[in-house]
Amino acid sequence: MNHLFLPEAEPVDVSVRGFARAHPGLVALHEDPLFVTALDTDPARRAGIVSGGGSGHEPLHAGYVGRGMLDAAVPGRIFASPHNRQVYEASRAVARDEGVLHIVKNYTGDRINFGIAAERLRADGIAVRRVLVDDDLATESDLTATGRRGTGATVIVEKLLGGAADSGLALDELAALGTAFCAASRSVAVAGRAQTSPSRGGEAFALREEEVEYGVGIHGERAARTITRPPFEELTERMTAQVLDALPDTRDGVVLLVNGLGATTQLELYAVHERIRYVLDKRGVPVVGQLVGTHVPALDMSGFSVTMTAMRPGWLGWWQAPSRTPAFPSQESQELNR
Amino acid sequence: MTIDQARVLRLYAEAAHTAHEALTALDQISGDGDFGDNLREGLDLTVAALDASPYEPAVAVAGSVFLDQVGGTSGPLIGLLLSAISRSLAEEPDERDGWANGVREGLAAIQRVGEAEPGDRTMVDALVPARDALVGGEKFADAARAALAGAAATAHIRARRGRASYIGDRVLGTPDPGATGVALLFWALARVAEPEAVLGEVGELVPLPGTTP
Repeated sequence: MNHLFLPEAEPVDVSVRGFARAHPGLVALHEDPLFVTALDTDPARRAGIVSGGGSGHEPLHAGYVGRGMLDAAVPGRIFASPHNRQVYEASRAVARDEGVLHIVKNYTGDRINFGIAAERLRADGIAVRRVLVDDDLATESDLTATGRRGTGATVIVEKLLGGAADSGLALDELAALGTAFCAASRSVAVAGRAQTSPSRGGEAFALREEEVEYGVGIHGERAARTITRPPFEELTERMTAQVLDALPDTRDGVVLLVNGLGATTQLELYAVHERIRYVLDKRGVPVVGQLVGTHVPALDMSGFSVTMTAMRPGWLGWWQAPSRTPAFPSQESQELNR
Repeated sequence: MTIDQARVLRLYAEAAHTAHEALTALDQISGDGDFGDNLREGLDLTVAALDASPYEPAVAVAGSVFLDQVGGTSGPLIGLLLSAISRSLAEEPDERDGWANGVREGLAAIQRVGEAEPGDRTMVDALVPARDALVGGEKFADAARAALAGAAATAHIRARRGRASYIGDRVLGTPDPGATGVALLFWALARVAEPEAVLGEVGELVPLPGTTP
Protein backbone atom coordinates (compact mmCIF):
# COMPACT_ATOMS: atom_id res chain seq x y z
CA MET A 1 0.00 0.00 0.00
CA ASN A 2 1.29 3.45 -0.89
CA HIS A 3 1.93 5.99 1.88
CA LEU A 4 2.87 9.65 1.67
CA PHE A 5 6.49 10.37 2.59
CA LEU A 6 5.72 12.58 5.56
CA PRO A 7 6.73 12.57 9.23
CA GLU A 8 3.99 11.31 11.56
CA ALA A 9 4.26 14.29 13.90
CA GLU A 10 3.23 17.73 12.57
CA PRO A 11 3.78 16.98 8.86
CA VAL A 12 2.56 20.41 7.74
CA ASP A 13 4.76 22.32 10.19
CA VAL A 14 7.81 20.38 9.09
CA SER A 15 7.03 20.91 5.41
CA VAL A 16 6.37 24.63 5.79
CA ARG A 17 9.67 25.02 7.66
CA GLY A 18 11.39 23.26 4.77
CA PHE A 19 9.56 25.47 2.28
CA ALA A 20 10.74 28.62 4.03
CA ARG A 21 14.33 27.37 4.09
CA ALA A 22 14.09 26.60 0.38
CA HIS A 23 13.09 30.18 -0.44
CA PRO A 24 15.04 32.30 2.05
CA GLY A 25 15.12 35.36 -0.19
CA LEU A 26 11.37 35.40 -0.74
CA VAL A 27 9.47 34.39 2.40
CA ALA A 28 9.69 34.65 6.18
CA LEU A 29 8.42 31.85 8.43
CA HIS A 30 6.28 32.46 11.52
CA GLU A 31 5.88 29.34 13.66
CA ASP A 32 3.46 30.15 16.49
CA PRO A 33 0.97 30.42 14.97
CA LEU A 34 2.08 29.04 11.62
CA PHE A 35 2.10 31.35 8.58
CA VAL A 36 4.51 32.76 5.98
CA THR A 37 4.93 36.36 4.87
CA ALA A 38 6.55 38.04 1.88
CA LEU A 39 9.99 39.56 2.40
CA ASP A 40 9.77 41.96 -0.53
CA THR A 41 6.57 43.86 -1.27
CA ASP A 42 5.51 46.84 -3.39
CA PRO A 43 5.21 50.01 -1.27
CA ALA A 44 2.37 51.16 -3.56
CA ARG A 45 0.11 48.46 -2.13
CA ARG A 46 -2.50 49.96 0.25
CA ALA A 47 -3.99 46.76 1.73
CA GLY A 48 -2.28 43.51 2.67
CA ILE A 49 -3.47 40.38 0.84
CA VAL A 50 -3.83 37.17 2.87
CA SER A 51 -4.97 33.78 1.70
CA GLY A 52 -4.85 30.28 3.11
CA GLY A 53 -6.62 26.99 3.52
CA GLY A 54 -6.03 23.33 4.09
CA SER A 55 -2.65 21.83 3.16
CA GLY A 56 -2.21 19.24 0.42
CA HIS A 57 -2.71 21.78 -2.38
CA GLU A 58 0.88 23.00 -2.66
CA PRO A 59 2.18 25.26 -4.12
CA LEU A 60 -1.13 26.94 -3.15
CA HIS A 61 -1.03 29.21 -1.12
CA ALA A 62 2.46 29.72 0.30
CA GLY A 63 4.07 29.31 -3.14
CA TYR A 64 2.35 32.51 -4.24
CA VAL A 65 3.65 34.64 -1.39
CA GLY A 66 5.97 37.35 -2.63
CA ARG A 67 6.14 40.53 -4.61
CA GLY A 68 3.15 40.94 -6.89
CA MET A 69 0.93 38.32 -5.22
CA LEU A 70 0.19 37.45 -1.57
CA ASP A 71 1.56 39.25 1.48
CA ALA A 72 0.87 36.22 3.67
CA ALA A 73 -0.37 32.64 3.45
CA VAL A 74 -1.87 30.55 6.24
CA PRO A 75 -1.65 26.76 5.97
CA GLY A 76 -4.11 24.54 7.82
CA ARG A 77 -3.60 20.85 8.48
CA ILE A 78 -4.02 18.51 5.50
CA PHE A 79 -7.41 19.23 3.92
CA ALA A 80 -8.49 21.19 7.04
CA SER A 81 -9.09 24.89 7.51
CA PRO A 82 -6.43 26.97 9.29
CA HIS A 83 -7.25 28.11 12.83
CA ASN A 84 -8.65 31.64 13.14
CA ARG A 85 -5.63 32.63 15.24
CA GLN A 86 -3.29 31.92 12.31
CA VAL A 87 -5.40 34.09 10.00
CA TYR A 88 -5.69 36.81 12.66
CA GLU A 89 -1.96 36.99 13.41
CA ALA A 90 -0.94 36.77 9.73
CA SER A 91 -3.39 39.56 8.89
CA ARG A 92 -2.07 41.76 11.69
CA ALA A 93 1.47 41.14 10.47
CA VAL A 94 0.80 42.33 6.90
CA ALA A 95 -2.10 44.81 7.28
CA ARG A 96 -1.40 48.17 5.64
CA ASP A 97 -2.97 51.61 6.00
CA GLU A 98 -6.27 50.49 4.46
CA GLY A 99 -6.32 47.11 6.19
CA VAL A 100 -6.32 43.64 4.73
CA LEU A 101 -7.97 41.64 1.95
CA HIS A 102 -8.77 37.96 2.56
CA ILE A 103 -8.93 35.58 -0.41
CA VAL A 104 -10.98 32.59 0.78
CA LYS A 105 -11.88 29.40 -1.06
CA ASN A 106 -15.55 28.57 -0.57
CA TYR A 107 -15.55 25.87 2.13
CA THR A 108 -17.54 26.12 5.36
CA GLY A 109 -14.50 25.78 7.65
CA ASP A 110 -12.45 28.36 5.75
CA ARG A 111 -15.35 30.81 5.67
CA ILE A 112 -15.90 30.50 9.42
CA ASN A 113 -12.25 30.70 10.46
CA PHE A 114 -11.44 33.64 8.16
CA GLY A 115 -14.72 35.20 9.37
CA ILE A 116 -13.79 34.88 13.04
CA ALA A 117 -10.39 36.40 12.29
CA ALA A 118 -12.09 39.26 10.42
CA GLU A 119 -14.32 40.00 13.43
CA ARG A 120 -11.25 40.13 15.68
CA LEU A 121 -9.37 42.38 13.25
CA ARG A 122 -12.31 44.79 13.02
CA ALA A 123 -12.48 44.90 16.81
CA ASP A 124 -8.80 45.99 16.66
CA GLY A 125 -9.70 48.74 14.18
CA ILE A 126 -8.28 46.98 11.10
CA ALA A 127 -10.55 47.03 8.03
CA VAL A 128 -11.11 43.63 6.36
CA ARG A 129 -12.76 42.67 3.09
CA ARG A 130 -13.24 39.16 1.76
CA VAL A 131 -13.11 37.74 -1.75
CA LEU A 132 -14.77 34.32 -1.97
CA VAL A 133 -13.49 32.01 -4.73
CA ASP A 134 -16.24 29.67 -5.98
CA ASP A 135 -15.35 28.39 -9.43
CA ASP A 136 -16.05 24.62 -9.32
CA LEU A 137 -18.89 23.79 -11.71
CA ALA A 138 -19.29 20.28 -10.29
CA THR A 139 -20.83 21.74 -7.14
CA GLU A 140 -23.27 24.07 -8.84
CA SER A 141 -26.68 23.25 -7.40
CA ASP A 142 -29.79 25.14 -6.42
CA LEU A 143 -30.49 22.53 -3.74
CA THR A 144 -27.80 23.48 -1.22
CA ALA A 145 -26.99 26.80 0.43
CA THR A 146 -23.25 26.14 0.39
CA GLY A 147 -22.58 27.11 -3.26
CA ARG A 148 -19.75 26.14 -5.58
CA ARG A 149 -16.41 25.07 -4.10
CA GLY A 150 -13.28 27.15 -4.61
CA THR A 151 -10.55 25.40 -6.62
CA GLY A 152 -8.08 26.27 -9.42
CA ALA A 153 -9.31 29.81 -10.02
CA THR A 154 -7.71 30.78 -6.71
CA VAL A 155 -4.30 31.08 -8.41
CA ILE A 156 -5.64 33.36 -11.13
CA VAL A 157 -7.54 35.49 -8.60
CA GLU A 158 -4.44 35.79 -6.38
CA LYS A 159 -2.32 36.95 -9.35
CA LEU A 160 -4.89 39.44 -10.66
CA LEU A 161 -5.53 40.88 -7.20
CA GLY A 162 -1.81 41.12 -6.48
CA GLY A 163 -1.28 43.06 -9.70
CA ALA A 164 -4.28 45.29 -9.01
CA ALA A 165 -3.12 45.96 -5.44
CA ASP A 166 0.34 47.00 -6.65
CA SER A 167 -1.26 49.52 -8.98
CA GLY A 168 -2.36 51.34 -5.81
CA LEU A 169 -6.08 50.55 -5.73
CA ALA A 170 -8.06 50.99 -2.52
CA LEU A 171 -9.26 48.05 -0.38
CA ASP A 172 -12.90 48.50 -1.45
CA GLU A 173 -11.90 48.61 -5.12
CA LEU A 174 -9.85 45.43 -4.70
CA ALA A 175 -12.74 43.63 -3.00
CA ALA A 176 -15.12 44.59 -5.81
CA LEU A 177 -12.61 43.57 -8.46
CA GLY A 178 -11.90 40.27 -6.70
CA THR A 179 -15.60 39.47 -6.67
CA ALA A 180 -15.71 40.25 -10.40
CA PHE A 181 -12.67 38.01 -11.07
CA CYS A 182 -14.41 35.13 -9.25
CA ALA A 183 -17.70 35.69 -11.07
CA ALA A 184 -15.77 35.45 -14.35
CA SER A 185 -13.99 32.16 -13.44
CA ARG A 186 -15.18 28.55 -13.71
CA SER A 187 -13.45 25.16 -13.41
CA VAL A 188 -14.06 21.46 -13.83
CA ALA A 189 -11.81 18.57 -12.75
CA VAL A 190 -11.42 14.87 -13.58
CA ALA A 191 -9.47 12.11 -11.86
CA GLY A 192 -8.38 8.68 -12.95
CA ARG A 193 -6.98 7.69 -9.55
CA ALA A 194 -7.69 9.00 -6.03
CA GLN A 195 -5.05 10.62 -3.85
CA THR A 196 -3.27 8.63 -1.15
CA SER A 197 -5.18 8.81 2.13
CA PRO A 198 -2.90 10.82 4.45
CA SER A 199 -4.18 9.02 7.56
CA ARG A 200 -4.25 5.36 6.55
CA GLY A 201 -2.34 5.13 3.24
CA GLY A 202 -3.66 3.53 0.10
CA GLU A 203 -6.06 5.14 -2.33
CA ALA A 204 -8.71 7.33 -0.68
CA PHE A 205 -11.34 5.86 -3.00
CA ALA A 206 -11.22 3.19 -5.67
CA LEU A 207 -11.88 3.61 -9.37
CA ARG A 208 -11.94 0.80 -11.90
CA GLU A 209 -9.49 0.95 -14.76
CA GLU A 210 -12.05 2.11 -17.30
CA GLU A 211 -13.55 4.79 -15.03
CA VAL A 212 -12.88 8.48 -14.45
CA GLU A 213 -14.37 10.65 -11.74
CA TYR A 214 -15.90 13.65 -13.54
CA GLY A 215 -16.27 16.72 -11.32
CA VAL A 216 -13.93 15.58 -8.55
CA GLY A 217 -13.04 17.97 -5.69
CA ILE A 218 -9.57 18.91 -4.43
CA HIS A 219 -9.98 17.15 -1.07
CA GLY A 220 -10.78 13.79 -2.58
CA GLU A 221 -14.51 14.47 -2.42
CA ARG A 222 -15.93 12.06 -4.93
CA ALA A 223 -17.71 13.48 -7.94
CA ALA A 224 -21.43 13.24 -8.50
CA ARG A 225 -20.66 11.12 -11.56
CA THR A 226 -18.26 8.29 -12.26
CA ILE A 227 -18.13 7.83 -16.02
CA THR A 228 -16.54 5.38 -18.42
CA ARG A 229 -13.28 6.94 -19.60
CA PRO A 230 -13.99 8.75 -22.88
CA PRO A 231 -11.29 9.11 -25.54
CA PHE A 232 -8.77 11.90 -24.71
CA GLU A 233 -10.09 14.24 -27.40
CA GLU A 234 -13.70 13.80 -26.31
CA LEU A 235 -12.96 14.29 -22.60
CA THR A 236 -10.92 17.47 -23.10
CA GLU A 237 -13.45 18.92 -25.52
CA ARG A 238 -16.32 18.17 -23.15
CA MET A 239 -14.54 19.88 -20.24
CA THR A 240 -13.61 22.90 -22.35
CA ALA A 241 -17.18 23.27 -23.58
CA GLN A 242 -18.63 22.93 -20.09
CA VAL A 243 -16.40 25.68 -18.69
CA LEU A 244 -16.95 27.97 -21.69
CA ASP A 245 -20.72 27.56 -21.53
CA ALA A 246 -20.69 28.65 -17.88
CA LEU A 247 -18.57 31.76 -18.48
CA PRO A 248 -19.84 35.22 -19.20
CA ASP A 249 -18.86 36.89 -22.47
CA THR A 250 -15.36 35.79 -23.60
CA ARG A 251 -14.80 38.33 -26.37
CA ASP A 252 -11.95 39.99 -24.46
CA GLY A 253 -10.24 36.61 -24.16
CA VAL A 254 -9.64 34.15 -21.38
CA VAL A 255 -6.82 33.27 -19.02
CA LEU A 256 -6.53 29.49 -19.11
CA LEU A 257 -5.18 27.30 -16.30
CA VAL A 258 -4.47 23.63 -17.05
CA ASN A 259 -3.80 22.33 -13.56
CA GLY A 260 -2.39 18.98 -12.46
CA LEU A 261 -4.04 17.37 -9.43
CA GLY A 262 -0.76 16.04 -8.05
CA ALA A 263 0.39 12.93 -9.91
CA THR A 264 -0.27 14.05 -13.46
CA THR A 265 2.83 14.45 -15.62
CA GLN A 266 3.86 17.49 -17.63
CA LEU A 267 3.68 15.25 -20.68
CA GLU A 268 -0.04 14.86 -19.99
CA LEU A 269 -0.71 18.47 -18.93
CA TYR A 270 0.88 19.95 -22.05
CA ALA A 271 -1.06 17.49 -24.22
CA VAL A 272 -4.27 18.56 -22.47
CA HIS A 273 -3.27 22.19 -22.97
CA GLU A 274 -2.63 21.69 -26.68
CA ARG A 275 -5.96 19.97 -27.13
CA ILE A 276 -7.87 22.70 -25.23
CA ARG A 277 -6.13 25.40 -27.27
CA TYR A 278 -7.25 23.59 -30.42
CA VAL A 279 -10.87 23.60 -29.18
CA LEU A 280 -10.69 27.26 -28.15
CA ASP A 281 -9.14 28.25 -31.51
CA LYS A 282 -11.93 26.39 -33.27
CA ARG A 283 -14.51 28.28 -31.23
CA GLY A 284 -12.78 31.62 -31.77
CA VAL A 285 -12.01 32.22 -28.09
CA PRO A 286 -8.80 34.24 -27.70
CA VAL A 287 -6.41 33.03 -24.98
CA VAL A 288 -4.63 36.08 -23.53
CA GLY A 289 -2.77 34.26 -20.76
CA GLN A 290 -2.10 30.68 -19.77
CA LEU A 291 -0.63 28.65 -16.96
CA VAL A 292 0.15 24.94 -17.31
CA GLY A 293 1.39 22.93 -14.34
CA THR A 294 0.61 21.60 -10.89
CA HIS A 295 -0.73 24.63 -9.05
CA VAL A 296 -3.74 23.44 -7.00
CA PRO A 297 -3.40 19.68 -6.53
CA ALA A 298 -5.27 17.29 -4.24
CA LEU A 299 -2.16 15.68 -2.71
CA ASP A 300 -1.11 13.05 -5.29
CA MET A 301 -4.38 12.56 -7.13
CA SER A 302 -4.02 11.58 -10.76
CA GLY A 303 -6.10 13.96 -12.83
CA PHE A 304 -6.34 17.54 -13.97
CA SER A 305 -8.61 20.55 -13.86
CA VAL A 306 -9.41 23.21 -16.43
CA THR A 307 -10.06 26.77 -15.29
CA MET A 308 -10.87 29.79 -17.40
CA THR A 309 -11.32 33.40 -16.40
CA ALA A 310 -13.19 35.58 -18.89
CA MET A 311 -11.09 38.74 -18.96
CA ARG A 312 -12.35 42.32 -19.11
CA PRO A 313 -10.63 45.44 -20.48
CA GLY A 314 -7.95 46.54 -18.02
CA TRP A 315 -7.42 43.18 -16.35
CA LEU A 316 -4.62 41.77 -18.55
CA GLY A 317 -2.05 44.22 -17.24
CA TRP A 318 -2.51 42.77 -13.74
CA TRP A 319 -2.06 39.23 -15.04
CA GLN A 320 1.18 40.24 -16.78
CA ALA A 321 2.44 42.48 -13.96
CA PRO A 322 5.82 41.58 -12.47
CA SER A 323 5.83 38.98 -9.70
CA ARG A 324 8.51 37.19 -7.74
CA THR A 325 7.24 34.24 -5.71
CA PRO A 326 8.42 30.66 -5.14
CA ALA A 327 5.88 29.09 -7.52
CA PHE A 328 4.27 31.52 -9.94
CA PRO A 329 6.02 31.60 -13.34
CA SER A 330 6.77 35.15 -14.40
CA GLN A 331 4.23 36.30 -16.96
CA GLU A 332 6.50 39.12 -18.11
CA SER A 333 8.81 36.71 -19.90
CA GLN A 334 5.79 34.96 -21.41
CA GLU A 335 4.80 38.29 -22.90
CA LEU A 336 8.29 38.93 -24.32
CA ASN A 337 8.41 35.51 -25.92
CA ARG A 338 5.14 35.82 -27.80
CA MET B 1 -24.80 44.84 42.11
CA THR B 2 -21.49 43.50 40.92
CA ILE B 3 -21.49 40.13 39.21
CA ASP B 4 -18.33 38.17 39.90
CA GLN B 5 -17.26 37.27 36.34
CA ALA B 6 -14.71 34.75 37.50
CA ARG B 7 -17.35 32.90 39.53
CA VAL B 8 -19.63 32.77 36.48
CA LEU B 9 -16.87 31.18 34.40
CA ARG B 10 -15.80 28.75 37.12
CA LEU B 11 -19.41 27.63 37.50
CA TYR B 12 -19.71 27.37 33.70
CA ALA B 13 -16.61 25.14 33.77
CA GLU B 14 -18.22 22.89 36.40
CA ALA B 15 -21.38 22.72 34.29
CA ALA B 16 -19.31 21.74 31.22
CA HIS B 17 -17.79 18.88 33.21
CA THR B 18 -21.21 17.71 34.44
CA ALA B 19 -22.71 17.93 30.95
CA HIS B 20 -19.64 16.60 29.13
CA GLU B 21 -20.97 13.11 28.55
CA ALA B 22 -24.35 14.35 27.35
CA LEU B 23 -22.84 17.04 25.07
CA THR B 24 -20.46 14.49 23.57
CA ALA B 25 -23.32 12.06 22.97
CA LEU B 26 -25.39 14.80 21.33
CA ASP B 27 -22.49 15.78 19.09
CA GLN B 28 -21.87 12.17 18.13
CA ILE B 29 -25.40 12.16 16.77
CA SER B 30 -25.29 15.49 14.95
CA GLY B 31 -21.62 16.45 14.50
CA ASP B 32 -18.12 15.07 14.80
CA GLY B 33 -18.32 14.36 18.52
CA ASP B 34 -15.74 16.86 19.77
CA PHE B 35 -17.97 19.66 21.09
CA GLY B 36 -18.11 18.37 24.68
CA ASP B 37 -14.32 18.06 24.69
CA ASN B 38 -13.77 21.50 23.17
CA LEU B 39 -16.12 23.28 25.58
CA ARG B 40 -14.64 21.54 28.63
CA GLU B 41 -11.08 22.15 27.42
CA GLY B 42 -11.78 25.83 26.74
CA LEU B 43 -13.26 26.32 30.20
CA ASP B 44 -10.51 24.35 31.94
CA LEU B 45 -7.93 26.53 30.16
CA THR B 46 -9.94 29.58 31.20
CA VAL B 47 -9.94 28.51 34.84
CA ALA B 48 -6.17 27.92 34.67
CA ALA B 49 -5.69 31.38 33.10
CA LEU B 50 -7.85 32.95 35.83
CA ASP B 51 -5.78 31.23 38.50
CA ALA B 52 -2.62 32.58 36.85
CA SER B 53 -3.88 36.16 36.40
CA PRO B 54 -6.68 36.79 38.92
CA TYR B 55 -6.82 40.54 38.30
CA GLU B 56 -7.60 40.39 34.56
CA PRO B 57 -11.27 40.84 33.59
CA ALA B 58 -12.41 37.20 33.58
CA VAL B 59 -14.72 37.30 30.57
CA ALA B 60 -11.96 38.90 28.48
CA VAL B 61 -9.57 36.13 29.54
CA ALA B 62 -12.15 33.50 28.58
CA GLY B 63 -12.73 35.20 25.21
CA SER B 64 -9.02 35.11 24.35
CA VAL B 65 -8.70 31.48 25.42
CA PHE B 66 -11.68 30.36 23.32
CA LEU B 67 -10.54 32.36 20.28
CA ASP B 68 -6.87 31.39 20.41
CA GLN B 69 -6.66 27.94 21.96
CA VAL B 70 -9.83 26.00 21.20
CA GLY B 71 -10.10 23.98 17.99
CA GLY B 72 -13.14 23.31 15.85
CA THR B 73 -15.49 26.15 14.98
CA SER B 74 -17.98 26.24 17.88
CA GLY B 75 -15.31 27.06 20.48
CA PRO B 76 -13.93 30.12 18.66
CA LEU B 77 -17.50 31.27 17.97
CA ILE B 78 -18.14 31.18 21.74
CA GLY B 79 -14.90 33.19 21.97
CA LEU B 80 -16.45 35.88 19.77
CA LEU B 81 -19.45 36.01 22.13
CA LEU B 82 -17.29 36.27 25.26
CA SER B 83 -15.04 38.93 23.68
CA ALA B 84 -18.05 41.05 22.74
CA ILE B 85 -19.44 40.71 26.29
CA SER B 86 -16.09 41.73 27.78
CA ARG B 87 -15.84 44.81 25.54
CA SER B 88 -19.40 45.80 26.40
CA LEU B 89 -18.87 45.29 30.15
CA ALA B 90 -15.82 47.55 29.94
CA GLU B 91 -17.84 50.29 28.22
CA GLU B 92 -21.28 50.21 29.85
CA PRO B 93 -21.69 51.90 33.23
CA ASP B 94 -24.67 49.62 34.00
CA GLU B 95 -23.73 45.98 34.39
CA ARG B 96 -27.05 44.59 33.12
CA ASP B 97 -26.75 46.77 30.01
CA GLY B 98 -23.19 45.52 29.65
CA TRP B 99 -24.30 41.89 29.53
CA ALA B 100 -27.33 42.62 27.35
CA ASN B 101 -25.45 44.68 24.77
CA GLY B 102 -22.51 42.30 24.82
CA VAL B 103 -24.75 39.31 24.07
CA ARG B 104 -26.45 41.32 21.32
CA GLU B 105 -23.11 42.27 19.72
CA GLY B 106 -21.66 38.79 20.16
CA LEU B 107 -24.70 37.14 18.61
CA ALA B 108 -24.50 39.56 15.67
CA ALA B 109 -20.84 38.62 15.13
CA ILE B 110 -21.64 34.90 15.33
CA GLN B 111 -24.42 35.33 12.78
CA ARG B 112 -22.17 37.32 10.44
CA VAL B 113 -19.49 34.67 10.59
CA GLY B 114 -21.61 31.53 10.60
CA GLU B 115 -24.31 32.96 8.34
CA ALA B 116 -26.87 31.18 10.52
CA GLU B 117 -30.45 32.28 11.13
CA PRO B 118 -32.76 31.25 13.96
CA GLY B 119 -34.20 27.83 13.12
CA ASP B 120 -30.97 26.57 11.51
CA ARG B 121 -30.32 24.31 14.52
CA THR B 122 -27.19 26.08 15.78
CA MET B 123 -26.13 27.97 18.92
CA VAL B 124 -28.03 30.95 17.49
CA ASP B 125 -31.23 29.21 18.61
CA ALA B 126 -30.18 29.55 22.26
CA LEU B 127 -28.66 33.01 21.89
CA VAL B 128 -31.59 34.76 20.23
CA PRO B 129 -34.08 34.15 23.10
CA ALA B 130 -31.36 34.96 25.66
CA ARG B 131 -30.58 38.23 23.90
CA ASP B 132 -34.27 39.12 23.62
CA ALA B 133 -34.78 38.53 27.35
CA LEU B 134 -31.71 40.54 28.37
CA VAL B 135 -32.30 43.43 25.96
CA GLY B 136 -35.95 43.44 27.09
CA GLY B 137 -34.77 44.05 30.65
CA GLU B 138 -35.79 40.66 32.03
CA LYS B 139 -33.92 38.93 34.84
CA PHE B 140 -30.81 36.84 34.17
CA ALA B 141 -32.81 33.79 35.31
CA ASP B 142 -35.41 34.49 32.61
CA ALA B 143 -32.63 34.79 30.04
CA ALA B 144 -31.24 31.46 31.22
CA ARG B 145 -34.66 29.77 30.97
CA ALA B 146 -35.13 31.27 27.50
CA ALA B 147 -31.71 30.04 26.35
CA LEU B 148 -32.31 26.53 27.74
CA ALA B 149 -35.77 26.40 26.15
CA GLY B 150 -34.34 27.62 22.82
CA ALA B 151 -31.69 24.91 22.97
CA ALA B 152 -34.24 22.22 23.86
CA ALA B 153 -36.45 23.30 20.95
CA THR B 154 -33.65 22.53 18.46
CA ALA B 155 -34.57 18.87 18.95
CA HIS B 156 -37.49 19.50 16.62
CA ILE B 157 -35.65 21.11 13.69
CA ARG B 158 -33.60 19.72 10.84
CA ALA B 159 -30.17 21.23 10.34
CA ARG B 160 -29.51 23.49 7.36
CA ARG B 161 -26.08 24.71 8.48
CA GLY B 162 -23.08 23.07 10.01
CA ARG B 163 -22.06 19.46 9.81
CA ALA B 164 -25.49 18.22 10.96
CA SER B 165 -26.94 19.52 7.67
CA TYR B 166 -25.44 16.48 5.92
CA ILE B 167 -27.48 13.93 7.85
CA GLY B 168 -30.98 15.41 7.75
CA ASP B 169 -33.69 13.71 9.78
CA ARG B 170 -31.30 11.58 11.83
CA VAL B 171 -30.81 14.46 14.29
CA LEU B 172 -34.53 14.88 15.02
CA GLY B 173 -35.36 14.30 18.67
CA THR B 174 -32.00 15.40 20.07
CA PRO B 175 -31.09 19.03 20.76
CA ASP B 176 -28.12 20.77 19.14
CA PRO B 177 -25.00 20.43 21.31
CA GLY B 178 -23.73 23.94 20.51
CA ALA B 179 -27.02 25.56 21.52
CA THR B 180 -27.12 23.43 24.68
CA GLY B 181 -23.53 24.24 25.60
CA VAL B 182 -23.91 27.99 25.13
CA ALA B 183 -27.20 28.00 27.12
CA LEU B 184 -25.20 26.80 30.13
CA LEU B 185 -23.30 30.12 30.13
CA PHE B 186 -26.59 31.88 30.91
CA TRP B 187 -27.44 29.25 33.52
CA ALA B 188 -24.12 29.96 35.28
CA LEU B 189 -24.60 33.73 34.97
CA ALA B 190 -28.08 33.53 36.52
CA ARG B 191 -26.86 31.26 39.33
CA VAL B 192 -24.20 33.80 40.29
CA ALA B 193 -26.21 36.99 39.69
CA GLU B 194 -29.55 35.81 41.11
CA PRO B 195 -28.81 32.98 43.55
CA GLU B 196 -32.43 32.99 44.76
CA ALA B 197 -33.79 31.94 41.34
CA VAL B 198 -34.95 28.34 40.83
CA LEU B 199 -33.30 26.98 37.68
CA GLY B 200 -32.66 23.28 38.13
CA GLU B 201 -29.36 21.42 38.04
CA VAL B 202 -27.20 20.79 34.97
CA GLY B 203 -27.72 17.02 35.15
CA GLU B 204 -31.49 17.48 34.80
CA LEU B 205 -31.28 20.32 32.27
CA VAL B 206 -28.88 18.48 29.94
CA PRO B 207 -29.83 14.78 30.16
CA LEU B 208 -28.06 12.06 28.22
CA PRO B 209 -29.84 11.50 24.92
CA GLY B 210 -32.39 8.70 25.21
CA THR B 211 -32.99 9.23 28.94
CA THR B 212 -35.87 11.15 30.51
CA PRO B 213 -34.90 13.76 33.07
